[in-house]
Parts: sequence; C-alpha cells; structure tokens
Amino acid sequence: MTDDTPNPALLPAGFADALPPEAEREAAFVEAIMASFALHGYERVKPPLLEFEDSLLAGSGAAIAEQTFRLMDPVSQRMMGLRADTTPQVARIAATRLAAVPRPLRLSYAGQVLRVRGTQLSAARQLPQVGVELIGAESAAADAEVAVVAVEALAAVGIENPSLDITLPTMAPSLLDDAEVSPDLRRRLARALDRKDAAAVAEAAAEGGAALAGLTPLLHAAGPADGALAALAKASLPPAARAIADNAAAVIAAILARAPGLRITLDPVEFRGFRYHTGVAFTLYGPGASGEMGRGGRYLAQGGEPATGISLYPDAMLRAAPSAPGPARLFLPLGTDVATARRLRAEGFVTVAALSAQDDAERLRCSHTLVGGTPVALKRKKV
Amino acid sequence: MSETIILALPKGRILAELGGLLARAGIVPAADYTEEDSRRLRFPTSDPLLDVVRVRPFDVATFVAHGAAQIGICGADVLMEFDDAEIYAPLDLGIGRCRVSIAESEHRDAAENPAQWSRVSVATKYPNIARRHFAARGVQAEIVHLNGAMELAPSLGLAQLIVDLVQTGSTLKANGLVETEVIAPVTSRLIVNRTALKTRPEAIGAWIERFRIALEAPAP
Repeated sequence: MTDDTPNPALLPAGFADALPPEAEREAAFVEAIMASFALHGYERVKPPLLEFEDSLLAGSGAAIAEQTFRLMDPVSQRMMGLRADTTPQVARIAATRLAAVPRPLRLSYAGQVLRVRGTQLSAARQLPQVGVELIGAESAAADAEVAVVAVEALAAVGIENPSLDITLPTMAPSLLDDAEVSPDLRRRLARALDRKDAAAVAEAAAEGGAALAGLTPLLHAAGPADGALAALAKASLPPAARAIADNAAAVIAAILARAPGLRITLDPVEFRGFRYHTGVAFTLYGPGASGEMGRGGRYLAQGGEPATGISLYPDAMLRAAPSAPGPARLFLPLGTDVATARRLRAEGFVTVAALSAQDDAERLRCSHTLVGGTPVALKRKKV
Repeated sequence: MSETIILALPKGRILAELGGLLARAGIVPAADYTEEDSRRLRFPTSDPLLDVVRVRPFDVATFVAHGAAQIGICGADVLMEFDDAEIYAPLDLGIGRCRVSIAESEHRDAAENPAQWSRVSVATKYPNIARRHFAARGVQAEIVHLNGAMELAPSLGLAQLIVDLVQTGSTLKANGLVETEVIAPVTSRLIVNRTALKTRPEAIGAWIERFRIALEAPAP
C-alpha cells in the first residue's frame, strides 16, 4: 500500500485561489460596479453567508435548492444553507427588517456564493455575485431601470457594447394554459420550445388546435427586438398573452429611452433557465463571444411583493473586460525619506520599500525605481 | 472577434450521410474532409465565413456547448446524454436513424423477474441515459462505462445488460444478445450555441434557415 500525502496545493473541485493581480482586479471590479449601483440610489445590504434552510429556500429560493450546500447548526439543531444565490436573501430582508421602509426600495449586494455543482461551461463552485433588487415597483419603468443600471455597471468596468436578451418566461405557459392542452402535449411542447425545435413545435401545436397556431410564428420571431416586436404585434394572441406582449413592448421602449444605442434581442417563447420569473427576464451578454455577464428579471418577492432584480457575474466580466495595466510599482531603496515616499504614494505610485540591502527593484517586481528622489522606469517587461 | 462561423461535424457513420444535405445547404467543404486518414481537423469551405471541424460525435456537443463551434450536427443520443443548457437543437435532420436500446443475453435466467430488481449492472457509453432510465422505474443502474464493444459485456459477466446505439441489430444478434426495449429513437440534429444565437441572431438564424430549406428540398 502506498501512502502518498496529498499535494497541499490541491483544492476541492471547483475552488481556486485568486492570486495577484487577479484578486486585486476582482475586488476593484466589484467596488466599481457597486459604486455605479450606488450612483443610481441602490443601497448596499450584506446578508450572512449562512441562514436557516427554510428561509433561504422559501419563495424564489426554491429554484436553487438543489445547488445549496447545507450543514447542521450544532447550536439550534436546525438545518442551515450556504447561499447559492443572494437574491432570495435580499428579498427576505426587504420583506422583514425593511418591511416598513417606503417603497420602491432599491438595494444592492456583493458577495460570494457557493454552488454544489459547477456547470458544464465552468467548473467553479464558488463565484462572486453582485446585483441590484428594485422592490415594490411594478412598471415597465422599474424593469427598464434595472436593465439600464446593469448595462451602466458593465460600462463602469470597461465592457462596452453588451447585448441584452429579453425573454418572456410567462408567454409560453400562458398560451398553453389558454389552449387547455393535455399534460402530455404540454410536456412535449415545453421540450420542443426549450430546444427551439421548430418542426416538433409545429407538429405538437397542430394537435393542440387553433389556440396554439400562434406558437410557431412566435418561435420564429426571436431575434433583434424591433423585428420580434413587430411579429408580436401582428400575432393573434389571447388576452393574457397579449398583455405579456404589450408589457414587453413597453419595457423595451422604456429601456431604449434610457439607453438609446443598446442592442436588444427578444425571444418571446423561451423560458429556459428562468423558473421563478413572472414578467420580463434579462440575460446580458458581453461583446463578441465573451458570453453571459448577468441575468435577472421580474419576480414576486416574499409576501407577493413585485420586484425586479439582476445579478452580474464579476468572474465573467473579468474575462470580458480589457485588461488595464496596474499602478506603477516604485522601489524605495534603503534610507528613502519618509516624506518623499508619502508624496509619491499620493501621486499614485505603489511603493515597495527595501527592508535590507539584498532587496532590489527587479526581484520585488517593481516597474520603477527611485534615482536621486525621482522615479525612473525600469527597462524590463511589465509586471 | 472573428466573424467566421465554425460548423462541427461528427466523424464516422453520419459524415457520409451528410454530404447531400450539406450540398443542398450550399456548403462545399475542402475535398478531403470526408477522408478519415486526412490529418487535417479544420477545413475551409466554399463560404469564406464558414469553416468545418471534424470531431468525435460526443465532442460535437462539447464544442458547441462551449461556443468553440457555433453550430454542429450530432445524434439525439448525444444530446440526451449531455442535456446541456447552452445547446439548442432547432432542426431534426432525419438522417442517421437508429435507436438507443437495452439488450441482454438471449440466455437470461427465466426465473429472474426484472420488476423485483433494486439494482442492475449496465455496460454502456451512455451513463446518464442509463441511470435516468432505470431510476425512473425505481432501479439503480450500476454503470460499467465502456467506450466500445459493449456487446461483450453480458457474456463475459461484466454487466447484466447493455444500453447502446442500435441500427440494424445485427451486431447484437452476432453476439448472442436480444434487444428488449427501445429507450429512444435517434436521428441527427442541427445544434447551435445559445450565446451565438442570442448575440448573432442574424448570422446564426440564416444558417438554421438554410438547413431548413435544404431539408425541404427533394434529395437529388
């Protein structure tokens, strides 16, 4: 039997150490995003990492129950959950401790979340998450504000030209309810819509009769918002679905009024990945193929209060943002005057003081050194 | 970023069947793309904005899920096994018809009643499909994950059953197995990456449309 000691560097699957300069960069990102939220009147809350399972997984939290790490509280003997999403915690705070604060309530949060499993795209089980919740307002203006605040937060960290995909997760269920389809047909239609399998949707819709005739045109309507809205306007929809379509048009108009150049796509019958949303749902994509930067939408917070929120993923944003050079690192040789060092820090230098005669600028990864009281750039590759 | 769209095609059986469909969709890849001994993996096509890559069938789904390829063609069996939220499967191409089936030895002990099983050992390259299928009827599937020659498993005592892709059934028969249940019929699907469809709806939508029209066109 061998007994190799495990390598101490090995972490559990999906966990990573963030090193310089990435750790610094992530923290700076999170603060820049939070500052951008704050400028729009969103006030920061800081829920705990752990709370009782029954409150954490109530309401909208149920959607992430299977992604939640749990542990037993030895004190209360009750089961606790480690948050896999911060949104339900903010909704809880709004409904309880901040219940008496006049609405609409604008809250923001930043923190780490833990997930039982990574996704196929990313194995990470610990993720930074930042976001806003706008609680107690039920209007297109509220939905638009949240979307635009998120877009501005991306811009604050240098991510320009995102595209916003809007889905209407209640549209397909509403059409299916209206057509009173059988559970089996409903299941098949849901699956076909989920895959965007046009032939299967058409075939199943034909079985459902005239009430489902509108489904196929709506499936094909997905795409740039103006075209999709035109298709929605032309479609013959039952009253409930018409109301959803009108709301989508109002939200998109309100977004474009606030962010005229924003690229918006609309997918009327998609519901993939949005399990508890009751109105428009948002997915923000970075430029090019950089992928998803955040997700959100309208939902019912605890106590049935209307709310809209969005979560952004700083890890994805870090990959998408152009990398900016860090501040210059200035080496302070032994005996550098304290006041000079303070002045240089005030000028924006990061100073690295020599502690012994062996220290030198290159070994300590400095970009500049002090020559006769003046910073001089070192001829070497950037740190 | 590059505007080139990558189409991932599966090596092997399906590739030969695809030729006609690709031609009708107006895709003419470099001549050597069907040659299995060609060392190239990425092939230009007559369209300067479309390149073809040739990978293993399971890898088509991986390439498309990660957005390394924006569109791809793979069997419904691969999609059932992967079930990835990043993949849409908008078109059933109707080619590569076969089925995912359960097979067992033709000499099974008649006294054994599958309804009483708590668990069953299954040799397969589809662990998720097998696990899900048996779990739905209250049976744990103990998976023996093989990449080929599943048909040997029952006779050599590796597993009680196999879950495998069956086209004609002749391989099963030649190895003393009988097909006892079809889990799902399989055809090839056109798949697309979710982010690509959302962020480049015009370009990706146009390719889906070209395949749709090609499917409706009569085969020459």
